[in-house]
Amino acid sequence: MSRIVVESKKPVWIVLTIALVIHTGLISLQGRRRLDTSFIRMWILDTLGPMEKLVDRSSFSVRYVWDRYFALIGLHDENQRLKHEVDELRMQMANDREMVLEAQRIRALAGLQDSGIGKTIVARVIGRDAGRNQTVTIDKGRAHGVRKDSAIITADGVVGRVILSSNFFSIVQLIDDSQSAVGVMLESNRRLGIVKGTGSRDLDLDYIDDDNDIKQGDRFLTSGQDRVYPKGIPVGVITSVSDVRRGYIKTVEVRPSADLGRLEEVLCIIEGPQTADVFDPTQGPANP
Amino acid sequence: MSAYSNRISGFAITGKFAISLIAVVVTQGILAFKFKFFGYIDLPLICSVYYGFTIGNPIASILMGSTLGLMQDSLSGAVLGANGLSKTLIGFFAASAGSKFAVDQPITRIFALFLFSLGDGILVTILGLMVGPAASGATYSGAVTRSLLTATFNTLLGLVLFGYRDRLSHATT
Repeated sequence: MSRIVVESKKPVWIVLTIALVIHTGLISLQGRRRLDTSFIRMWILDTLGPMEKLVDRSSFSVRYVWDRYFALIGLHDENQRLKHEVDELRMQMANDREMVLEAQRIRALAGLQDSGIGKTIVARVIGRDAGRNQTVTIDKGRAHGVRKDSAIITADGVVGRVILSSNFFSIVQLIDDSQSAVGVMLESNRRLGIVKGTGSRDLDLDYIDDDNDIKQGDRFLTSGQDRVYPKGIPVGVITSVSDVRRGYIKTVEVRPSADLGRLEEVLCIIEGPQTADVFDPTQGPANP
Repeated sequence: MSAYSNRISGFAITGKFAISLIAVVVTQGILAFKFKFFGYIDLPLICSVYYGFTIGNPIASILMGSTLGLMQDSLSGAVLGANGLSKTLIGFFAASAGSKFAVDQPITRIFALFLFSLGDGILVTILGLMVGPAASGATYSGAVTRSLLTATFNTLLGLVLFGYRDRLSHATT
């Protein structure tokens, strides 16, 4: 190549001179405003414009592909991780909510424990008979002091009685079972009676001293005379009173005070009250 | 030199010229517009110096530098002919240096790139100021600083590109 340089030295100077003259001329013309050189710019711009556009579109396409695809490679994993995290948090929230509700229920039961109904123990419902009998299984048994005919209640009212007790578990007959009966008294006039389970949602009034004063909305409390349930615990509310007599009393339907369909924690009365046998839920805890 | 060799040489020069052309378009049209940093980079100058060193044909180097400079002026809004004049001289001096010095040495490249960049900056600024500040957009303040910065960045980038191009050449031969 150096040979070419030596051989073509004269033309080099000529080309250099021509190029310099052209550029100097362009500069000079612009300075004195003798000639409008904008057509040169326009021509070059028109020539290079498409290339510039091509490069711009290419860079845009590359950036588009990068942003839409390559930059999202890690996003899938991150999305999965975040979904997993959200699921965990949801489960934790649900668990926390359950714990709060459980604490509220236990607090209510604890209030009941202190209200003078005797010695009690909190039990958890761990099973329910899906058959004809209205029974539930609780996680407390003989080892905890639970015996046959122990009363089971909640803060809302009577639940039932223990019909079978093993060492660590017990079966509770609910008051809506067709074989169940509870000695009651009308809260308003203290008349005694008996309500029986029907196997369905409501209870029936089986007996009462005088049914003349019975009206819808009255409450039944336990009378204590059946020697199962302490006196004064809510049993249910009269939902309907019909003049159609069943035997020699009116047909009266009673809705249980305790929500028997949603039992989770219950209170087992393992020892009856020693001094006062009257429990009035409206009075609140005996030792606040 | 045979006709075949001349044809090959012609193709090589045309290819290099095309690459330089794209470099101008990219640096002036896209990169400098979208990335402020590329305003301190003068790829046409680096191309002119590199091909001046390697082509071994002063006429081709002059024409390449002249055309690149003219295009740069057209796209940058500078005084038309300022970069053309500067790059013409750079093409010529680079070709002359390439035939006399060991331009494959990093120290020579650093020295040459820095000097060419600084000279280009000063010349373009002076020409711009001669024609008028309004036309060139150049001002006295900051012109020297900008020239020094541009020279530094051009030297660094030129060294990287030269080295990469050398390795590519060695790999293909």
